Order: sequence, then structure tokens, then C-alpha cells
Amino acid sequence: MKFKTFFAQRILAWALTIMIGVTFIFFIPRMFPSDPVETMIAQMQSRSGNMDPAEMEALRTKLRVQFGLEGSLLEQYGSFLWNGLLHFDFGPSLMSYPEPVNNIIGRNLPYTLGLSLTSTLVAWIIGNIVGLLAGFRPKKRSSKIMEGIAICIYPIPYFLIALILQIVFAYLLGWFPIQTTLMTRGTFLQWLGSLLKGSILPGLSLLLVGMGWQIISMKSLASTTADEDFVLFARFRGISERKIGISYVFRNCILTQITALAMSLGGVFGGSIMTEIIFGYPGVGQLIQGAILQSDYNMILGCITISIVAISTATLIVDLVYPFIDPRIRYG
Amino acid sequence: MKKKTLALLLALVMVITCCLSACSDTETPSAADDGSSTSATSGEDTGDDTSTEDTNTEGGTPAAEGIVTEVATPREDTLIVEVQTPSDTPGQFNSYMQGTSMGQGIHQLMSAHMWEMDSVAGEQFGEVAADMGTPNDDFTEWTVKIREGIKWSDGEDLTADDVVFTFNMIKTNEGINASAATNLYIDAVEKVDDYTVLFKMTESFPRLTMRYGISVWGCDYRIVPEHIYSQVEDVTTFKDENPVVAGPYTVEDFDPNGDWILYKLREDWWQSTLGVVGSAYYGYTEDMVPPQYVWMRVAGDSSTKQMLMTSNEFDVLCEVTMEEFEAMNSTNPNVQCWWPEFPYAYLDDPGSKSICFSIGQGAPYDSADFRWGIALALNYDELTEGIFQGAGRAAPIPLLNHTQYLTEQYVIPMEEWLTSFELDLGDGTTYAPYDTTVAERMAEAKGLSDLSDEEKVEMFGAGWWKQSTEAAEKLMTKAGLEKRDDGWYFEGSLFTPEMSYLADTEQQAGRTIQVAYNQLLDFGIQATITTKSQATWDTDGGTGNYYIAGYWPSGGITTDLYSALSGFDNTLISPMGETGSGQGIRWDNQRVTDDLHALANMDPESQEAHDTTVDLLQAAVEDMPYINVTSGTKFVPTNSTYWTGYPNSENPYNGPWWWWSCFKYILPNLTQVMK
Repeated sequence: MKFKTFFAQRILAWALTIMIGVTFIFFIPRMFPSDPVETMIAQMQSRSGNMDPAEMEALRTKLRVQFGLEGSLLEQYGSFLWNGLLHFDFGPSLMSYPEPVNNIIGRNLPYTLGLSLTSTLVAWIIGNIVGLLAGFRPKKRSSKIMEGIAICIYPIPYFLIALILQIVFAYLLGWFPIQTTLMTRGTFLQWLGSLLKGSILPGLSLLLVGMGWQIISMKSLASTTADEDFVLFARFRGISERKIGISYVFRNCILTQITALAMSLGGVFGGSIMTEIIFGYPGVGQLIQGAILQSDYNMILGCITISIVAISTATLIVDLVYPFIDPRIRYG
Repeated sequence: MKKKTLALLLALVMVITCCLSACSDTETPSAADDGSSTSATSGEDTGDDTSTEDTNTEGGTPAAEGIVTEVATPREDTLIVEVQTPSDTPGQFNSYMQGTSMGQGIHQLMSAHMWEMDSVAGEQFGEVAADMGTPNDDFTEWTVKIREGIKWSDGEDLTADDVVFTFNMIKTNEGINASAATNLYIDAVEKVDDYTVLFKMTESFPRLTMRYGISVWGCDYRIVPEHIYSQVEDVTTFKDENPVVAGPYTVEDFDPNGDWILYKLREDWWQSTLGVVGSAYYGYTEDMVPPQYVWMRVAGDSSTKQMLMTSNEFDVLCEVTMEEFEAMNSTNPNVQCWWPEFPYAYLDDPGSKSICFSIGQGAPYDSADFRWGIALALNYDELTEGIFQGAGRAAPIPLLNHTQYLTEQYVIPMEEWLTSFELDLGDGTTYAPYDTTVAERMAEAKGLSDLSDEEKVEMFGAGWWKQSTEAAEKLMTKAGLEKRDDGWYFEGSLFTPEMSYLADTEQQAGRTIQVAYNQLLDFGIQATITTKSQATWDTDGGTGNYYIAGYWPSGGITTDLYSALSGFDNTLISPMGETGSGQGIRWDNQRVTDDLHALANMDPESQEAHDTTVDLLQAAVEDMPYINVTSGTKFVPTNSTYWTGYPNSENPYNGPWWWWSCFKYILPNLTQVMK
């Protein structure tokens, strides 16, 4: 009974979070001082250079109808909730009309997920192991070195790390491509090889930054836990240091880190923008940036809605899984 | 044991990764290797970068043999060109389906247009059309001959049937952007014979070629193969993934994520538009074979772009700043711009950069005295030095693009009038603002005094407006402003106009505003400065939601300026906050409007049209709706490690228009360094 109440509360919170989030993201772009129709006309005007005034008016009217910007704001919102939120159909991209937003996101999403999820997970695993060692065995030289590296890397802005990697390993040494180019003319293996080769530097940059925080966070938790009475008592009982580290310290520290992991996984979309720009890596991040700059409402809605749903769902999963991981937590 | 297993697993993963990378048959370049291994190295030639002796610039990196690009083409046969934005519709090559990224090489290499542009001569020439059309007496009908000998890439002849079909397809498909506009002026397009077409207009229409051909970047009218498109149920949803084209290249491959397209030269390119028209107009011969492959790809952000160019992974970039160019040139001297030395940049980009006023904001922006006051408060020498270190041709006349051609057509012939033009300063005195010594002064400042007078004018312009703070103050006072100790006041309040420019791009326009802002502060105007994103910038430009901004409203590079200026008709001015079909600055000048109405029905080639245009420009100078500063100045770098023969100041056979449709006419001039 308690579990049912707990489950219902969490689901309700999840649904409300998504609803509020997408409502904001629907209305905020429409408050921008920009207009996608005018943006498109300005682009066409600057290119062809001699659009007749009467032609421009005819084009303007036509684009407003095609882009679905003719109805009232409430009608557009209702249509978005039904099509976008419930059916994940965000309509056509306004800047790449009539290509559906879903198609464009679908083409790019696997790259963002592949790169960001992998690097986030690997950073989490390595960071927690290193952090645990540094916190549990603080006097060991290896722990001090690892902690020192993490403290050095963590404050460096992400773009700087990415640029350094790019300049050193791609431009100067030439080990990796400066910009990711996927080989499509050859076999699947060739394509996969070009993808892996192009993913190493972007992945490494994300790994370094992500790992720094995990190490510092886990080290702090582990060193605090290592001083707890139950750890001291375990030592008095003659339990091995290895078992104390894993079963007593790690198990108590990992709960907080799981929450952090869930939040990191939910945020992979936003975090990928800079990586994709610097390394020319395909993905959703550049879509979001371009959509905001060009007032592509549907694309903004599509990308951010997916992001909101992902973060909310990740949080929900953590909430639901928590009681199973930590027996101290009960549904009340 | 467990440690050993883990170590083995890790080693296995690394080996697999290395193998997979090796399978891609590519090797990444290294700038440390003197930039010689450009993109990828195939098998046995790895590491054996055989340098050719035919490098073009002293100290430049040598070309290397055996290099294979990342798209598996021989580097020496591949011209690699930057495209500025990725495509959201990869694999879509139908130019009449919305969303198609024409600038990714589609309109440069595959499309066929009725009339193309010779940007150097400032005139159009027939591409699919064999002539410039023959009108009837009242310009309501045009007879156009179609060029014979052009073949589609599947071997079919391009004939009048294709032209008639294309225009009727546009007229009858509302889903095509140009449809409504086409129906406004074209009543019918009929076939007279296999190589003659008759255009019936809805009204007198003297400018057929300007409207339905190319005058700058490209145009909406691209001839499609009737035998393909007539079989399609809905041309607005037909992606045309394997296009049959009349241009010299076909699609060989493309990135499913939209970052690049690889084009391959047609074996029968001599029967494409490039071969047939190129031989007739430019005198090209069949042995002037263009590059086998053209790889149009996105280059990324500024630093990535520079790394790719200096390590010879690109041959052509679209646009960089002067500082970016100088950095690339110092790393790899094979990277050059239009001029081998100062001013480096191409000075004939259509789009003089300006300081614009939103006249719809009312006083004092709607006062010509105020606008002239601002102009005279500015110091041109410091402006141009601050923009691109003095690179750029002075642009004195509002509405006019100050290309070399238009400077010769209008500015120099108007010099007597400009010199005698005087401003009424409102206190009984006058001031003659035109200054013809700009070129001389700038040449001296740049150590180029040995240039001839003509060369100085070509490089620095015919003249601009003399700075005079005294005259400026009188004009501001005449416009209702008052100078106090802490700045200028208007209607009792401190005058603090907001100055804005477009963020991140269009550096020339942005820097114009930045330097002008500093100069106006010195003059006592307590202005503020801000940037806007592209979408906000475009919308505000139309609605008038700005005060002083770095737009570029001048248009056109041909003698006939009507099409480019027709938006300045005051009957098209919309209320503030709404976007109309005319000018965003909302400049209401009846004399200009009358001139435009008169020009609409004149033969654009007539002396009467020329004289009317001059009168229009004089009216613009008197009213100074916005302040043109320098001509469109573009740094468009080329890399001569693998290819030479790009157009430049020493061989200006075309403009550096890699993103314009006329790009294909540059290609036969390029030669491989390796051969």
C-alpha cells in the first residue's frame, strides 16, 4: 500500500514536471522578438537580392500558412500538447521546411546518445573508483596523484580542454581528425572505424571533465565515511581493508553518486553542444543551437521536450530504484 | 588473475579500435609534418610524402602524392570547398522542394539557370538562354532563344520543353516558394519551337533577365528535366536523390548527417552548361578539365577552420576575418586572399556596410540634419582602420553598392556634383562635405603612395565625407539637439541612442558600429552598444525595432539598380512594429519614389534610365537615409598547395564566389599542382 502511494506520487510529480517544462518551452520562444518567417525572408532576400515587394508579400502570407503560425496561441498550444507531447510529432522544421523535426532529431540523436552516454558512464565509473581510492586511502602516493590530477582538471573550462586536445592530438600530432567526417562510401567497418576515430577526442574531452567532478565528489564522500564509527568497528573486527572499502565505504557513498549519474545522463543533450561545435561531431546539440538562433519553434520544442522527458524520467527511475538500493529508505 | 583478464580485455579493445581505424584506409594529417599529409594516406604511400616542386608560394607547404581524402578520393583530384552551414535535408537535391540546401554545391555545380552573372563586368549572360530576350514594344511579351547543345547528364537534350515545363510547374504548384510571385508577372510561358520560348507577362515588364536570371548569389528559377519531373506526382515532395542535371557535376556521395556532399565531374561535362556556355562566353576549351571531384564540406568554428586550412585539408574557405587570414597566411603561405598583400580582401562584395537609422522611430532619427550630423562627426580614416586595418573601398553614396564597377559607373561620374554639394548648417553658413583625398591619404598611410591614381581609387575609393565636428554640431543643433557638458540632449533628456549589430557574423558591419560608437562617444553622444542574434536581427530590421544599427541595405551590382532599390518606394512603408515589403529603415522620400515609379517602366539600358538613377542617388545623398561606410570587403582564402588558378587581383576573371551559382565557371581555370 505504501509502495502504491509512493509510486503514484512519483509518477504524478514526473508528469507535472514534464507538463510545466514543456509549457514554458512552448511559450518562451514565442515571446522572442524574432519571427521565423521574417528570418527566412531575410535570408532569401540577402541571397537573391532583388525580391519584388509584391512577391515578398505573397511569400510572407504563404509561409505563415505553411508554418502553422496562423492560428491563435492557444490553438497552437493545444495542437502541440496532442501531437508533440503525446505523440512525439513536432511537425516540420521551420528552417528546413517541410522536413519533419522527428527525422532530423532521429538522424542526430544516436550520435549524441552514443558519445555522451558512453563518456558519462565511463567517467562515472572511473571517477568513482579513483575517488574511492583517494578518499579511502588518502595517504597513498597514488591516491594523492590521482586526486591532484582531478583537482587540476576540474576547474579548467570545458572548451579549453577540448581545444587543447584538438590542437595537440589532431592538428600537431595528426593522430585524429580535426573534424569528424564519417566515411560513407566504404564498408560498414570503414564507417565504424571513421566513427570511432572521430569519437575519441570528443569522448576523451567529455571524459576528463566529467571524471574530475566524480573523483572530487566521491573522494569527499569516501573520506568522510571512512572515519565513521562503523568503519572503525569493522577494522576492530579484523575485516580486510578491501572488504571494508567495497562493502562499507563504497556502498554507503554510491547512493549520492547514483543521483548525480541520473542528473548527468538527463543532461547529455545540453552538454553536447560545445563538443559538437568544436569537433564538428554530429548530434542534437548543434540542432538546439541553430534552432534557437533561427527561431525554429518546432525544432526547439522537439529537442527540449526530449531533453525534459529524459531528465524527468531519469530522476523518476532513480526515485523508484532508490528504496531497493538502500534498505534504510522506506516508502513513507 | 582478474587483473590479468582486465588488462587483456583492455588490450583487446585497443587492438580492435586500431584495426577498425585502419580499415577506414585513412590517416589524419599533422601540421607538425609541415602540413604535407593533408587528409588521409593510402597504404604504401604512408609516410612517404613526396613533395612536388610546383608549390606556388615561397615557404608554402608542398603537395603530397598518394593522399586519399576522408571520402576516399585522390586528394590531388579533389577540390575541397567550405560550405557555411550543414544541411538538415541530406540527400534532397530537388531545388523546388523546400528545405533543400542549395548552397552546398547544388546550385553552384548542378543547376541550370536562364541567365547567369558576370560579376566582374557587372552584366548578365545567357546560360540556358542563348540571348537576353527580345521584348515587344511595350515589354508585355518576351521571346527568348534557348541555347543548343546542352545535354542533361542522362544524355537527353535540354530544349524549350524543359524551360516551358519548369515555369509552368512553378506557376501551378502553390507549394513552390516562387509560385505566387511568378503568377504575379508571368501570364504564360509557351514553346515556339524546340529552341524558342515566349514569355507572356501580366503587365509591362522591362526586366525579364534581372528577375528570372541571376543578379547576385542565385535565383529561384532553375530549369529541371521535363522528362524526369513530368513523371513525378508531386514535385514539392520529390527529393530527387539521384538528380539528372545540366550542370557539370553529379552527386557521388553525401553525408547522411548533412555535413558534406561529394560531387563528381560528368564524363560529358563538355556538353553540360559549363562546357557549352563556358566555351561560348568565356572561351574555354575542352582541355581545360575542371577538378574530377569537388567536396563541399562544413569547416566548423573559427579555430577548426584555420587548422583545417593550414594543414591543407581545405582548398577554399568562404569568409574569415583579416586577423584569421593573417594567422593562416603566416602558418602556411600557400593560403592567400584576393590581393597578395594589403588589402588582401576582395572589395567588390555586393553589400556596402552601413550605419542605419530606424527613421520610423521619429525625431531626431527622421531628420536629415541629424543623420548628416552623425556622418560629419565620424572620422573615415579611423573608421576604416578600425574595421579591417584600412582595407575597404570608401562608400559615400547611400543606396549604392560601391563595387569597382559601380564606382566607375556612378561615383566617379557624379564627382563634380558631389564636390559642389553643400549642406545648410542652419546658421546661415554652408558646408561642402565631399572629400576626394581619401584614396591619396589612405595610400600614403599604408605605404602605397607609388600606386597610380586609378589604382588608389580602385583600392581605397573615390571619396567620402570630411569630418567636421563644428559642422556636425551645427547640424545636430539644427535637428533640435542641445550640447551640454555631459553630452547631447534631446527634448530635455540626455540623448542615449542604442547602437546594435549582428552577433558572431558579418564582422565588417559589426566593427563599423563598434568604431562609430567610440567616435560618437568622443563627439559627446552618450550612445550604448548591443548585439543581437540572427533571428532577432532579421525581425528587428523589418519591424524597425532598433535606433542605430549596422545593416547593409544597399543592393545590386549591375548598372540597372531598379530591382535592388524598388523597396525604397515610400508607398511600401509599413507602420512601426510590422514588417512590410519595402525598406526596414522607413525612409520616406517622394523624389526617390517618383524616380522608382518612372524607372519601373523604362528600358533599363536607356540613357533616360541612367539619368533617372543618378537623380535618385543625388536625392539619397541630400537626405542621407543611412551612412554607407566601406564597400563589401570579404576575405575569402584559397590554398594553392593542391590547386592553382583561383581568381585574384592579378587574374580577376571572376569574383571569389564559391557560394554563388557562377562558381562552376571558375573551375576550368584551376590546375592541379601535382601535374
